[in-house]
Amino acid sequence: MPETSGIRNTNTLLPAIYQRAVIDAIMKLDPRFMIRNPVMFVVEAGSALTTLLWFQALTGNGEAPAGFIGAISAWLWFTVLFANFAEALAEGRGKAQAESLRKMRQDTMAKKLYLGYEIVKGREPEPSDYLEASSATLHKTDLFYVKAGDTIPVDGEVVEGIASVNESAITGESAPVIRESGGDRSAVTGGTAIISDWLIIQVSANAGEGFLDHMISLVEGAKRQKTPNEIALNILLIGLTAVFLVVCATLWAFSVYSVQAAGSGIPVTITVLVALLVCLAPTTIGGLLSAIGIAGMDRLIRRNVITTSGRAIEAAGDVDVLLLDKTGTITLGNRQAVDLIPVDGTDIMLLVETAQLASLADETPEGRSIVVLAKEKYGLRGRSVGATESGTGMQFIPFSSQTRMSGVDCGDVNIRKGAADVMFKYIRENGNPVSEALRKEVETISLAGGTPLVVTKNGKALGVVHLKDIVKGGIKDRFAQLRKMGIKTVMITGDNRLTAATIAAEAGVDDFLAEATPESKLNLIREYQTGGRMVAMTGDGTNDAPALAQADVAVAMNTGTQPAREAANMIDLDSNPTKLIEIVEIGKQLLMTRGALTTFSIANDLAKYFVIIPAAFITTYPALSTLNILGLHNAILSAVIFNALIIVALIPLALRGVTYRPMTAEVALRNNIAIYGVGGLIAPFIGIKIIDIVLVLMGVM
Amino acid sequence: MKTGSVLSIIRNQLKPAVVIFFLLTLITGIFYPLFITGIAQVVFPVQANGNLIVHNGNVVGSALIGQPFTSPGYFWGRPSATSPVPYNAGLSSGSNLGPSNPALASAVKARVEALHAADPANTFPIPVDLVTTSGSGLDPDISVAAAYYQVHRITRERNLNGEDVKALVTSHIEPRQFGIFGEPRVNVLKLNLALDDMSTTHIVPSSMVKADPVPSDGSGLRIPDWIVLILFIGVFIVTVVPLGRFMVKVLKGEPHLFSQVTGPLEHQLHTWSQVKADDEMDWKTFAIAMMVFSLVGIVFLFVLQMAQPVLPLNPAGAGSPSWDLALNTAVSFVSNTNWQAYAGETGVSYLTQMVGLCVQNFTSAATGLAVLVGLAYGLSRRSASTIGNFWVLLIRSVMILLPLSIIIALILVSQGTVQTLGGPVTVSLLDPVKDASGTLVTTQTIPLGPAASQIAIKQLGVNGGGFFNTNSAHPFENPTPFANFIEIIAILLIPAALCYSFGRLVGAGRKGVSILIAMTIIFLPLLGIAIWAELGSNPSFAGMGIDQTTTVLQPGGNMEGKEVRFGIMPSALFSVVTTAASCGAVNSMHDSFTPLGGFVQLLMMQFGEVIYGGIGSGLYGMIVFLIIAMFIAGLMVGRTPEYLGKKIEPQEMAIATIIILIPIFLILISTAVAVLVDPGKTAILNPGPHGFSEILYAFTSASQNNGSAFAGLSANSMFYNLTTAVCMFVGRFGIAILTLALAGSLVVKKIVPAGEGTLSDHRPLFIIWLVFVVVIIGVLSFLPALALGPLVEQLMLGGGP
Repeated sequence: MPETSGIRNTNTLLPAIYQRAVIDAIMKLDPRFMIRNPVMFVVEAGSALTTLLWFQALTGNGEAPAGFIGAISAWLWFTVLFANFAEALAEGRGKAQAESLRKMRQDTMAKKLYLGYEIVKGREPEPSDYLEASSATLHKTDLFYVKAGDTIPVDGEVVEGIASVNESAITGESAPVIRESGGDRSAVTGGTAIISDWLIIQVSANAGEGFLDHMISLVEGAKRQKTPNEIALNILLIGLTAVFLVVCATLWAFSVYSVQAAGSGIPVTITVLVALLVCLAPTTIGGLLSAIGIAGMDRLIRRNVITTSGRAIEAAGDVDVLLLDKTGTITLGNRQAVDLIPVDGTDIMLLVETAQLASLADETPEGRSIVVLAKEKYGLRGRSVGATESGTGMQFIPFSSQTRMSGVDCGDVNIRKGAADVMFKYIRENGNPVSEALRKEVETISLAGGTPLVVTKNGKALGVVHLKDIVKGGIKDRFAQLRKMGIKTVMITGDNRLTAATIAAEAGVDDFLAEATPESKLNLIREYQTGGRMVAMTGDGTNDAPALAQADVAVAMNTGTQPAREAANMIDLDSNPTKLIEIVEIGKQLLMTRGALTTFSIANDLAKYFVIIPAAFITTYPALSTLNILGLHNAILSAVIFNALIIVALIPLALRGVTYRPMTAEVALRNNIAIYGVGGLIAPFIGIKIIDIVLVLMGVM
Repeated sequence: MKTGSVLSIIRNQLKPAVVIFFLLTLITGIFYPLFITGIAQVVFPVQANGNLIVHNGNVVGSALIGQPFTSPGYFWGRPSATSPVPYNAGLSSGSNLGPSNPALASAVKARVEALHAADPANTFPIPVDLVTTSGSGLDPDISVAAAYYQVHRITRERNLNGEDVKALVTSHIEPRQFGIFGEPRVNVLKLNLALDDMSTTHIVPSSMVKADPVPSDGSGLRIPDWIVLILFIGVFIVTVVPLGRFMVKVLKGEPHLFSQVTGPLEHQLHTWSQVKADDEMDWKTFAIAMMVFSLVGIVFLFVLQMAQPVLPLNPAGAGSPSWDLALNTAVSFVSNTNWQAYAGETGVSYLTQMVGLCVQNFTSAATGLAVLVGLAYGLSRRSASTIGNFWVLLIRSVMILLPLSIIIALILVSQGTVQTLGGPVTVSLLDPVKDASGTLVTTQTIPLGPAASQIAIKQLGVNGGGFFNTNSAHPFENPTPFANFIEIIAILLIPAALCYSFGRLVGAGRKGVSILIAMTIIFLPLLGIAIWAELGSNPSFAGMGIDQTTTVLQPGGNMEGKEVRFGIMPSALFSVVTTAASCGAVNSMHDSFTPLGGFVQLLMMQFGEVIYGGIGSGLYGMIVFLIIAMFIAGLMVGRTPEYLGKKIEPQEMAIATIIILIPIFLILISTAVAVLVDPGKTAILNPGPHGFSEILYAFTSASQNNGSAFAGLSANSMFYNLTTAVCMFVGRFGIAILTLALAGSLVVKKIVPAGEGTLSDHRPLFIIWLVFVVVIIGVLSFLPALALGPLVEQLMLGGGP
């Protein structure tokens, strides 16, 4: 996927984003904002508390040396700031994209047609038909007129006219696209520009509610709502934080008692308890959680997919059935000739030559593939049309939907090729019999899922061209990977069952829906959903809309109609049907990143206990020094510093997501437990020891 | 089932609650103990009435209850911590002195000096059981080594031939039961009776002499110990599937082994209480029915205790307890905790034991089982709204417990657990003893009662409330090493098999078995640590001339608070099983365990009582952990997590998280309050970190509905009676109600079919992950508290085998 131009081009803005993120990180310290993230709010409260204790210590009445409290306090503030920075950084990328989008949304003048304007086919409105008005005055169902050079002010549906439109601002695709009334190319987006001709457009969304506005708010993350899974994880994290809050609060009481019981030492200080609380609270995941969510949406946007909600990305990770259109997704758009079979004793080369002649003027991909086959397999060089034989009065018969055949008349030689049933009729009309051999070949090819074209010369059959759907290279492996991930692929095609089955087998899909109609698609989706499965599909036509609305993850092509785009919860600006697979992967990656960092965060805590508890209670119970297995000198400060730095260290991971490869659930779990679970147990021991050594070298004791 | 406002549901459920409560009281509180008493009196008359020894036509004592011997001319038994005199059978008690308590070291030192004073010429190391108190204070036995050690003194004092006395001892050695269970030992009363006979007749019956009394089988963890451990595991391997199947059949109302008997009974109960088997309840109705039933139980038990002085079947003349103690006991038994701030011998009448406590042993366990089945229905039903009928499940659960209890009760009676309605028996002491005030005490009052019937369900129902004060350390409650083995098995029998039943209820037995494996993975290493720790010597006894090694002739190890007939391994095993399984029965005094042994007990409870846990409650607690483990694991494989096809969404996470939080909050906050206020601190017996452990243990045990105690803590005070009652009530019913809410939240969901992308919940990797989550949550919540209690005590004390 090329990642250039359009909304994705934010790389040049990087230093600005960092600058802004730093400022935002500080702005986000506002407790009214922090309370939205309870884990980090607790850290902020702890930071404030230790700061007060530091002031107290500065006056000489502190519970511990001012230097110690000050250092702890500072690093606690850093912990909060680092978490805010991560979030601000993730948002910053979106904001930069939003800026560039917003530029296009500036209030433009619209040629609003008067109420009661009568649309006449092919008639361009006169200046007397419309009023130049601000785009803000346009409301749903109003009509307006645009011509070459205008910017389309708001989203709408073309009701009259045909024009080429530059949509690069949204898609990043520089080639203009055709927009016309009726059919699947009638939707236009506000902010795009007319290059030629004119259109009459009916407003489909009020100003400020259009596609562009929606995109802006999405990429900015302003309206970002927590997704169900994020909420569930947040509940767990709040629960853990509450546990540690109680652990640390009660530890003070236990410490007071222990001092009495042992008759030595002093109760643990509030500074140490706050430090312990912050180290134990799941700050790593708590600080990075929203950044992960924003970054997930960002990754989708980088792949030119716009989603209407974060919920849809999560749902994408859960998808277990993919409905894929055959044409364009599984097979190359067109069928190709793969074989030429002579019948009734015809010489093979005669058939080849005849088939080639019949296809020379046939500009369809099928026709061209016959010429290519003749050249490559049979060494018959394609003659350019009208070269050697043009003089002899060669007359080409193009394909028409009435005759359903094409060919060439060359003097008294009439060459034709076409679909079997039409050709059989044509042969009989010419007074020739349809031989058993011909029927058999036609049937064989049909049975194999191919399309037979019968070639005749002067009304007599010479042989059959075998046309075949060509499955895209590598698609079979892709489906195998999906199967491993537990995702079932279903091919949707208008072909008959036989053809569909053959292609399905060749492509390696799990199932297929042949002779598909909008109703049968909808029913299939409902059937899967009743069975508890999550279904994803792509669509572009208006008749896909019901199925898109029903599917859990519905990706509409940007080239699709307005109803299709409205029914979907994602829009692929590249209009690439294979994108669905990438979307599923992004969804999974998002959840995996959350899970991995949660595991890492919790696993970290064990080491922190070993570091902090001996240090906190050594005056009461010297025997606990046995637990100080690392031999630390600045145990508590080192742990707090590690806790803050690990957030920074993991920001890239949070933004990028954990590496995703298609694999079974079992393997994915094993790998992630090994890396983030076991790694999470070990990493803090090493990290804290290193920080302690550095502190000692710096002379902090 | 009609739904409506909470009040109208309560009104609807009140009648079945009262009717079923009284019918079950009739069955389990009157018919069941009387039935066992009848059979016991006919089939095992000697055992059921206390194994009384008739010598020369007189009843001179019980073979199971030790007597105090202080004259140098008698073999001395183990030191006893009962008051006011040693071996006061009227109130069994252990010393509860912690291993690091200086009072223990000085008491032991005094006993060593007394032994030396009585026999200055004997310089052999003294067997540790001879200088440490037993758990019950009534231990009838001493080790073979302890008997031989005293031969020199007896020979001199009685002017006998040393070889004859030695032969007498040898002839009185009781070998390991069936060759593997318990310790070889000598019954002190029987030995002294024979000694008196020999002194008067001067005849040594040659038939009494045995050549090689004890097979030499090494020291430390000996071969018979290993065999018993393997047998212990083997029993579960054999019983889990058939018993699990049996329970599913009973719970589903399908024909089973005992349905000829229980079927009509069940039918009658349904008829009288007007409960219909197919009358399904939503989770709220289910929860309300459970609460109404439990509150009826609490009120009844409270009133019964307060009224016991004027009610029949009160041969020992127990009075009314204080209101706070009565409330504590009522909540304790209804919540399946069986925390006992009263003493069984003196505090409660036979009627209260039978009609009050025994009934709750059945119904509280059955309530837990009913809730588990409700959760299983919540997980296995697709897009439904109801989770079963509480009354039907409650009655069927009792029908599971009843036949098993009858079997276990009869085995226990055969071993010597008493089962009679007769009152206490008074016997003359062979060697009268002076009490603390110097008055000579010449008699011993031996308590009896319908104990076996209650002890069977106490173990099977994972209740733990003993008939006597020292619970299963008491020789009448746990008379032989084999009885001890049966009691250990009985604790885990149902919780283990229930895993399989649960698996069957939700689709596949293996899903339940995998949970059982996860539990066992946590259980076995901790069991190993506890056994290792208890086999070790107490460093504070060093230099006193005490032999603490485990050998062929003596159990050795940390014998303070343990019974000779059990020895070290079975005591450690019992303690780990009882804390793992939320039972709370004890066969040795946990307060006197090594710090590491106590650490294991605490940790087992603090893991949430999910390592087997209580009947139903252990498993539903584990399912909550499983849901949390599955949630994080599900994220790591990139899907919205699901368990058994049910998606885990914010509502389920909220409920699961609160369920995990409740006991942690209860334990930590109540312990913190107790260590700060005087009523909390003054109850402590042992000084230093061990005292902290006592309070931590009390609230851990109460909040997790275990019921065992570091019994040195004087828990019968207004402060502890009320605080532990709150912990027990919230720890039990708060979690049960939330579990039902979880079931209600799950039952309405669709079931996502399993596929390649589904993380299977029964594969080894997930089992290990589940273990990790349980351990990490437990450790992270309690490590600081444990560090200031048992861990630091262990580090300060040192020691090990």
